[in-house]
Amino acid sequence: MDEKTEMVKREESMPERRREIPAVAPFVDIFENDNEILLQADMPGVDKKDITVNVDNGKLALGGVRKVETTGAAQWEEFESVEFQRTFSVPQSIDVEKIEAELKDGVLCLHLPKSEAARPRQIEIKSA
Amino acid sequence: MWTRVRDIERVFNTIDMLQNRMNRLYSDYDRMRAIPSAWGVAQSGPSTNLYDCGDHLEMTVEVPGVAREDLNIKVQGNYLEIGGSRNSNVPEGYSAQRMERGATVFTRSFTLPADVNTAKVEALLANGILRLILPKAETAKPKKIAIQ
Repeated sequence: MDEKTEMVKREESMPERRREIPAVAPFVDIFENDNEILLQADMPGVDKKDITVNVDNGKLALGGVRKVETTGAAQWEEFESVEFQRTFSVPQSIDVEKIEAELKDGVLCLHLPKSEAARPRQIEIKSA
Repeated sequence: MWTRVRDIERVFNTIDMLQNRMNRLYSDYDRMRAIPSAWGVAQSGPSTNLYDCGDHLEMTVEVPGVAREDLNIKVQGNYLEIGGSRNSNVPEGYSAQRMERGATVFTRSFTLPADVNTAKVEALLANGILRLILPKAETAKPKKIAIQ
């Protein structure tokens, strides 16, 4: 056995090797009206306390960890513990202070209100 | 002719071996499969897990955005059917910028490894995960037989 294969083998049998949770991008819907941008993301199985929403420097980062607890003998497993991660660019015109988030049925709903200055304004034409 | 078939088989075996190697080389390779696929395209329904806990079976189903009243669960013997729907209409007054989640109507049926006591089935819905607790029927449980 040459040195190279031996090293690979040894790494595989390391007992303390941590099982990594796969990172997954959640599906999102983005809607917009005159007052706000509405973002909905599918995050099934994520607890409210395990969700992070960060807005920094024009970047909106969503994160959430789902831990699947297992009991008994697995007959089949089609989903597992995952880490949801996704980052969006948001326009500077978003009022960061007033962002609201709610979680319902595993769907994260984010309301990103536009600041006053960014809202469309109807301009009245004065008759001369 | 037969030798040719065997040659092809050997090629496939080699490809399998190569894939296994690659899997070991790149742990990221596995992540590709973990990306959820859109319902109705690659999959006919939501993902499920099934566990056998001795006296009962436990099933978890991934149903994000599906309300309790939109879910239908039917059990008969060892047959289980889960149906549901999700509508993702654009909210009133909004325009859609990006739509990935999509509306879906699904039905998925399973043959369970044991008969189920249908009267005692419990279903819980939390955070978009449906959890079914299916107690096994008395006939499906092991029974001790006395010798006379």
